[in-house]
Amino acid sequence: MTKKILLIEDEEALQQTMAEYLTDEKFEVLGAMDGQIGLTLAQTKSPDLILLDIVLPKMDGFAVLEEIKKDEKTKNIPVILLTNLESMENIQRAFEKGAVAYLIKADFKLEDVVKKIKEILKM
Amino acid sequence: MIIINDFNLRKQADELGIKVWQTPGFLFIVMGFVSVVIMTATYFISAYYDNPQVLVISECLVVVVVLIVGTSISRFVGQMANLNRMKSEFVAVASHQLRTPLSAIRWETELLLTKLKKGMNKKQVEKMKNISQLSLKMTRLVNDLLDVARIDQDKLILRKQDFDLAKLTQDMLDESVVAYESRHITVSSNIEKDLPEVCGDVEKIKLVLDNLIGNAFKYTTSGGRIHVGLARRNKDMIFEVDDNGVGIPEEQVGRVFEKFFRSDNASKYQTEGTGLGLYISKNVVEQLGGRIWFQSIENVGSKFSFSLPIAKK
Repeated sequence: MTKKILLIEDEEALQQTMAEYLTDEKFEVLGAMDGQIGLTLAQTKSPDLILLDIVLPKMDGFAVLEEIKKDEKTKNIPVILLTNLESMENIQRAFEKGAVAYLIKADFKLEDVVKKIKEILKM
Repeated sequence: MIIINDFNLRKQADELGIKVWQTPGFLFIVMGFVSVVIMTATYFISAYYDNPQVLVISECLVVVVVLIVGTSISRFVGQMANLNRMKSEFVAVASHQLRTPLSAIRWETELLLTKLKKGMNKKQVEKMKNISQLSLKMTRLVNDLLDVARIDQDKLILRKQDFDLAKLTQDMLDESVVAYESRHITVSSNIEKDLPEVCGDVEKIKLVLDNLIGNAFKYTTSGGRIHVGLARRNKDMIFEVDDNGVGIPEEQVGRVFEKFFRSDNASKYQTEGTGLGLYISKNVVEQLGGRIWFQSIENVGSKFSFSLPIAKK
């Protein structure tokens, strides 16, 4: 069965590229350009995994993550933080709030991100 | 409990990004001692002179000293905290703002070269690969500068985990084999079998290996040789890379791990390089509980080694 990935990313070029790559890898991709829409999609579309940026308009990634983990319907969806913000405080905060991985966009190839997704989804 | 927490000097120092002796708590303790000493002196002076005027003047003096020192301390701490906050903000902004467009370029080229390659001719593929490599180089440069800024603030990010250093070393050698062959450099390796895992930050150690092996490759002339070794020694794993390249002039060996240092012959031989790789490598290895060292003779070659603690099972 096709796995559904929700991609919450405000940088259009990054979102498009990632979506195209994931689609080619046979994933179904849902996209959101801000935190609020992202959260709504997480609650209504039941994705199998969420790729979440931190710096987002309307609601930042940490607030979205917190809401996702509070909600009974969404709390079991694995969330990968995919960001270029790198600080020990952010990394700790992400894991404390329930993220399963913290990846730095600049250091990871699309291929590596997909590998991580497949590893988490046990594909 | 709150008072004890407020006087947690290490915590204060970490929060403000300053040394323990510069923290407000520590400086106020010192000021307290100074006040006690002055007041004791005042007591003895007034007892000796038996004159209330001397006591009043001495006490006024204590108040003035406390006020002056206290104001200076708080101004100094404020300035330090401000400076450190600005540095941290710069690192955060730089890391996000510079790396986002670079990530986009890297991902776009990766997509083109893997999923959308069909229809591109050989020349176009070659050009795309060049863009990909250049953006990777630019990302590396930005990351190096950010790491240096973090090292200077004692905030280098290290994510410790157990990993297979032997496999990582072998993978890195395999990835570079085409480049070595194109330069007619002979590469040999001696990686012991069944080595245990080490404890460290795999991404940062990858960077250290890349720096050390990359330097050997950069500063070895065509037709030269490079040897890589990995072995267990007691509770450590020892990595070494040996070359017969240009070496380091004797008068400059003491400066090899300095920030931005590049030896004179290295700059002549290879214009590319920032002088940050070995500085970062030293800090990474040492913060992970290891050691880094080298031997080098100009025009004969260099041998760089580092140790890392073996993972506790």
